[in-house]
Amino acid sequence: MSGIAKGSVGARGHRDWPKHAIVGCLLLVELFPLYMMLQVSFKDNAEFIKNPWLPSNPASWRWENWAFGIRLIGPYIANTVFVAVSGTVFSLCFAISGAYFFARYKMPFSGVLWSAFLVLMLLPSVANIVPLFTLLKELSLLNTLTALIAVGVAGGQVFNIFVLRNFIEELPKDLFEAAEMDGASHFQQILNIVIPMSGPIIGTLAILAFLGKWNEFLLPLIVLRDKELFTLGVGLIYLDGEYVKQWGQIMAAYFIASLPLIVIFLFCMRLFVRGLSAGAIKG
Amino acid sequence: MAHVVISNLVKVYPEKNGPGVRVVHGIDLEIRDGEFMALVGPSGCGKSTTLRMIAGLEEVSEGTISLDGQVLNDVLPKDRDIAMVFQNYALYPHMTVYENIAFGLKLRKFPKPEIDTRVREAAVLLGLTDYLDRLPKALSGGQRQRVAVGRAIVRKPKVFLFDEPLSNLDAKMRVSMRTEISKLHARLGATMIYVTHDQVEAMTMGDRICVMKDGGIQQVATPLELYNRPQNLFVAGFIGSPPMNFFAGVLLRVGSEIWFSEKNEKSPPVKLKLPGSISKKIAARLGQPVFFGIRPENIHDVPATTDADVGSMAEVSVEISEPMGAETLLYLTTGATSFIARVRPTDRFEANQRINVTFDLAQAHFFDAASEQVL
Repeated sequence: MSGIAKGSVGARGHRDWPKHAIVGCLLLVELFPLYMMLQVSFKDNAEFIKNPWLPSNPASWRWENWAFGIRLIGPYIANTVFVAVSGTVFSLCFAISGAYFFARYKMPFSGVLWSAFLVLMLLPSVANIVPLFTLLKELSLLNTLTALIAVGVAGGQVFNIFVLRNFIEELPKDLFEAAEMDGASHFQQILNIVIPMSGPIIGTLAILAFLGKWNEFLLPLIVLRDKELFTLGVGLIYLDGEYVKQWGQIMAAYFIASLPLIVIFLFCMRLFVRGLSAGAIKG
Repeated sequence: MAHVVISNLVKVYPEKNGPGVRVVHGIDLEIRDGEFMALVGPSGCGKSTTLRMIAGLEEVSEGTISLDGQVLNDVLPKDRDIAMVFQNYALYPHMTVYENIAFGLKLRKFPKPEIDTRVREAAVLLGLTDYLDRLPKALSGGQRQRVAVGRAIVRKPKVFLFDEPLSNLDAKMRVSMRTEISKLHARLGATMIYVTHDQVEAMTMGDRICVMKDGGIQQVATPLELYNRPQNLFVAGFIGSPPMNFFAGVLLRVGSEIWFSEKNEKSPPVKLKLPGSISKKIAARLGQPVFFGIRPENIHDVPATTDADVGSMAEVSVEISEPMGAETLLYLTTGATSFIARVRPTDRFEANQRINVTFDLAQAHFFDAASEQVL
């Protein structure tokens, strides 16, 4: 029996090799820039020009490129982590509260309010840049990290509330009513029911929000002036301008900049996938 | 003390382009301290809405609900000192049994040792001691329902509300949980209001039963009073399993006696001579259409050799016979009316067999055909 099963699996694997080959090729294309970044980060310019494609001998790896990269973009990473973490946390807190309201309460015109809210999703973010700049100037928030956090929190609300509202609506109504009878306030219902039961979807939104804020470029570019306040997106382009010939150092800095995201994604991938498929199958 | 008084309670749900849907029509009900009141009725009769208004989960459109003299209409659910057990348990899936039971106390900021004592007491009472660390998904339906009950009893509320708590359980578990809830009521002596659509549950558990239909109360009485003295056709037909049999017909005077004659154009109608005690009560309705009602256990099959009183006997056809072990249910027909008789388990019948049955007319009920009220 097991022989038959083994045989059939083997036969299927044999049949599937073209698919595997295509997936393998795609992976190679996707991973190629990462490979180049990593292997160039251990070379100096002379070695890079002599041998651009293959890794150099580990004995001659130039670790000082990495030391330089860390020293150079360390402050940028710290700024970015601060902006991305606080932006994500505040953004999700407000989004959960908003989604809880839209999911649980039907008032006169709440449908109109919801539709008006969704229209915001259609507005291109670039169209907001000039009014946003003026607003931040009026609020004396230009050249501050607070501006990035505030705009980041406000900007992600529509999508987050849209996703969370649908998810919260699917939670059994009886649970909220039982909590109400148990004496839970709205805040306690969010804390004790919504957040624990929406873990996967909140996790997914947190990853998406964090990625968005980590990779943010346009807003920091127009808001920030002082180099000490730069986030990664802006910091990296200045790096390119100042050290254009030091490819090893630039690549080391780029690799360090992308490392946190790779680590976060590897650890949260299961949560991310679960969140994306949440609600697809009746529980 | 927990004395609940419901006065002229109305619930209207708003409706687009209309005056609103009226689902509860001004009901009045008094539930005494320590009483087990069962609200029973078919789906859509307003029993759950009434319960939810008592809980504070639905707003009251008109009328008042008061507990020990305090009007609750504007009191938040958490401040009513009322606990509720939901139909689908409503357990928090991410919390253990212990945390589920303790949740209400924790929110009310009870000291930790007090919470622990109460949770463990409830667990002993409900046989949940071994399951305190489990998540709800690792429990059976009956155990989950006991956790839901536990969550209600630890708070020691004045009133317990049950919203069809056994409807998700299988038949065997339902019987066992029915007994457990009755025992719990006896032990706690608390006021309980129990909503069900199952009249057997209501009959076996309730001190009194409130039968509802179309948002109104049909009758409030003890189980036996409802069974023996139903106030109208609906209550008579709803309470009892199998239900009461009804025959449409008219009352006729034959000499000095009053007879009931079935409305039957297909075959010779059933004609029954009414005993003096009943005749006196319904003499004024002579010639008017009525319903004659009789319970299945008050219809008896008659051996061919018996010399029974012709005034209480009728020849009918057997449609089907259902041996139940302790009794046999006979589905019979007069040609115009189908009815059920509960007979001895030893009696055997074939489909389409013609048999004689007698009606125990001392147990008969008569209802006005127009108003459907008892005569």
